[in-house]
Amino acid sequence: MAKKKRAAAAEELDLVPIMNMVTILIPFLLLSVQFVSIAVIDSTLPAIGKPTEAQPDDEEKLNLSVAITDKGYSVLGASGVLGNPDGDGATVPCLRDGCPGVDAYDVSKLTEMLGQIKDEYPDEENVILIPESNVPYEVLIATMDAARENPDVKVTVNGVSDVARPLFPFVVIAGGVQ
Amino acid sequence: MGKRKLRRGDDDAALSITSMMDMMTIILVFLLKSYSTDDVSVSPSKDLQVPISSAEKPPKLAVNVVVSQKEIVVDGEEVLTLDRVQNDQGLEVTAVPADEKRGQLISALYDRLLEKAETAKDLAMRTGSDEFEFKGEVLLQCDKRLPFSVIREVMFTAGQAQFGNFRFVVIKGG
Repeated sequence: MAKKKRAAAAEELDLVPIMNMVTILIPFLLLSVQFVSIAVIDSTLPAIGKPTEAQPDDEEKLNLSVAITDKGYSVLGASGVLGNPDGDGATVPCLRDGCPGVDAYDVSKLTEMLGQIKDEYPDEENVILIPESNVPYEVLIATMDAARENPDVKVTVNGVSDVARPLFPFVVIAGGVQ
Repeated sequence: MGKRKLRRGDDDAALSITSMMDMMTIILVFLLKSYSTDDVSVSPSKDLQVPISSAEKPPKLAVNVVVSQKEIVVDGEEVLTLDRVQNDQGLEVTAVPADEKRGQLISALYDRLLEKAETAKDLAMRTGSDEFEFKGEVLLQCDKRLPFSVIREVMFTAGQAQFGNFRFVVIKGG
C-alpha cells in the first residue's frame, strides 16, 4: 500500500521552480512592454546642409507650399496661390472659429485639394509647410499626415494593391510667418 | 476510486497549480509578443504628449531631443527649462526664456548638440564604417501643444549644430 502511494506521488511534476521562474519573468516583461508603437516622420531643413533623402532637383518645380495660418490653409505654388482662395485669403478655410485649435483645420479638404494638384503634377513629391508661430505642433503633424497620403483613395503601387494614394511624402518645414 | 481520492486530500493539501500555470503561460506568451526592443522609447507624461499620426516609418537610433512643456532634454540630460508666457492673444503658451536665446538660437541646446555632433563624427572617423557615418539625424519628441515658434527655434538651433535631418517621433494610429 505504501509503495503504491509513493509511485502515485512521483507521477506529478514538481512545478514549483517553473512557477518561480514565471512569476519573476512576468513583472520583468511587464516593465518592458510598450503599449504604444511609435513611428517617425522625416523632414529636412530647407537651406542648411544637404538632405540625405528627398533630393530635390530644381528643374521645373512646382514648389508646392502650404501655409498654416489662423484663418486656415493657404496652398501656394510657384505661380501663386492655387485653387480658389476665399475672400479672406485662406484656400482651405477653418471649419469654424477656434483656429489655431486642433480640430478646426479642414484636413480632409486639404487632402482632397492636394490630390487634385497631384493629378496635375504626378512627379512632384515635396511639399513645404509654412506654419505661423502660434500654430500647435499637433496641427503641424496633422497637416503632414494630410499631405503624405490620401487614405480614401486606394491605388496599386509597385504591385502592392490597396495602398493609400501617396501625395507629397517629403515634407520640408520652412521658417514660417512671424 | 472515491476512497483513494479522499485519502489523498487528507494527506497533503497541495494546491492545484495546473490552472494557474495555464494562465501564467498565456500571460508569458502575450508579454513576450509585446516585448519591444525598439531603439527609441517614449515615456509619455503630463508634460509630454506625443501627437498621433498615420506615419508608418520605424524609428532609428539618433540623437534624442525631447521638448516637453517644461524642459528640453538631450539624450536623457536636461539642457534647459522652458517658461510659460502670454502670447499676443492672451493665451498662456510655452516659450524659450529670452535670456537663453541669441536671436533664434538656443545657446545651451546649441552647445550640447555641437558636442554630440563632434562625438558622432569622431566615432565615424575612428571606426570608418558606414554604420556610424554622421548623417545629422535628430529624433524630435515634442509635446503636441507646443507652439510652432518653440519647434522652429529648436529646429533652427539643431540646423546650426549640423543636425539637418529631423525625425519627428509620433505615436502610430489614427
